[in-house]
Amino acid sequence: MNNLHPLGKLLTCVLYIFLVASIDKYDIIPLILMSVYLVFAFLIGELSLKEGLYRMRLILPLVLFVGIFNPFFDKDIVLYVGNIGISGGVMSMITLFIKGLYSVLSAYILIATTSIDDICYALRVVKVPKIIVIVIMLIYRYFDVMALEAHRIMTAYSLRAPSQKGIHYKAWGALVGQWLLRSMDRAEMVYESMLLRGFNGEFSFKKKALKLQDFIYPIAWACIFVIIKLRIIM
Amino acid sequence: MKTGIHGEILKIENLSFAYEKDEPVLQDINLHATDGESIGIIGANGIGKSTLMKLLVGLNTNYSGKLVVAGHEVTPKNLNHIREHVGYVFQDSDSQLFLSTVEDDIAFGPRNYGLSEEEVQKRVDDAISFLHIEHLRKKSTYKMSGGEKKLASIATILAMEPDIIIMDEPSIALDPRNRRNLINILNKIKSLKIITSHDLDFVMDTCERTILIDDGRIIADGATDVILKDEKLLTTHSLELPLSLSRM
Ligand SMILES: Nc1ncnc2c1ncn2[C@@H]1O[C@H](COP(=O)(O)OP(=O)(O)O)[C@@H](O)[C@H]1O
Ligand SMILES: [Mg+2]
Repeated sequence: MNNLHPLGKLLTCVLYIFLVASIDKYDIIPLILMSVYLVFAFLIGELSLKEGLYRMRLILPLVLFVGIFNPFFDKDIVLYVGNIGISGGVMSMITLFIKGLYSVLSAYILIATTSIDDICYALRVVKVPKIIVIVIMLIYRYFDVMALEAHRIMTAYSLRAPSQKGIHYKAWGALVGQWLLRSMDRAEMVYESMLLRGFNGEFSFKKKALKLQDFIYPIAWACIFVIIKLRIIM
Repeated sequence: MKTGIHGEILKIENLSFAYEKDEPVLQDINLHATDGESIGIIGANGIGKSTLMKLLVGLNTNYSGKLVVAGHEVTPKNLNHIREHVGYVFQDSDSQLFLSTVEDDIAFGPRNYGLSEEEVQKRVDDAISFLHIEHLRKKSTYKMSGGEKKLASIATILAMEPDIIIMDEPSIALDPRNRRNLINILNKIKSLKIITSHDLDFVMDTCERTILIDDGRIIADGATDVILKDEKLLTTHSLELPLSLSRM
């Protein structure tokens, strides 16, 4: 799976997220079937679910809690399991939760099996503007550095305020400001280092030759997704 | 890339520069350098060493005076030419390396200059074997020690085969063994080397010529063994004799 052309993997991932997101909010069966892609990719790509959830820990909470208030708004019963009625709100909370989880996991599959350079290359192939691709690349590259920078600032703070638990709310503004400034300085230096090595906004990565399986992979998945989405076999 | 220039390859005349108006960082700098020289730029923290190096590669072009690098005047229009001939090793390797593997990072420069894929691979192989870092080839750039990152950074520059190599504080944060290794490597490199440092022992071991800067001006320019033995000169400009000399 690591050897597939990055473009096929990228398109599959985008299509997957798009279709999953567009499934009706009460329609749980196709949503469950959609997990076939994740199961397949995790098995074939020999990925670990634990590692995936860990790597995505920063955005998981955001996508998981978007639907948390739905049960309070939509109280009509849409489904009975035995004789317990499930309201539309609970149902749509569950489907939103699943959609969020699926999207995050499929993004993880892409990242884990494709290097960021290849993803950027694929984005350029489909004509995503240079500047967006560069920003994506820098953000990705600097994710770890920013986390490290944040950790350093926190450590420096807590060493000088040992009796405090956590960080005093008055210091938050200054610390976050510091963190952003430092991170921006970093990003700027990386960009300079790219310029100094002849970067002109175009990624001249090794061109990848397309093989038969590079076409089959995204097309086969596209067919499966559409069949599930349109409930053609049910 | 090699210009094929022999003789004078860097010319700085009456160079002055300020980030903020009325706060000059560099004043009236004059400096000529020829192919194959090794020059140490020394001076206390914050006196403008890095600023001078950045001017040489055109990271700032609003200086006054004359600055000619590898046969081209440093102007926005000429930056591509200049950067083909000058390699800049950043003080902080984390800013230098940004692709996923060391190998890809080394290939980045040569690819940008449109070399054929065979030539790119050859450049990568040559840089890797020159620095003896075969074991780092496939490594992820942010899972390496400080010394390894420094070597990988240097490899990314060597692969561009520059006429001029600039290194900003290369010995900072290296342990003695890595430091020694780096000294041996620098001494094998034949291009013009310009190394900023306040580690005078390092300059002693790598540079034949030394330039002392203070208050934005060149205070002394001459043979390293003369300047670094001049205790009075060094102490008046907030530096100390190299350890290797003061022990004697
Ligand atoms: N980007 C910048 N903007 C404004 N001032 C700067 C900038 N970079 C450096 N300086 C100032 O210029 C002076 C020289 O800095 P620098 O060249 O980094 O010194 P050195 O490398 O010798 O330690 C310092 O006073 C520093 O504060
Ligand atoms: Mg400096």
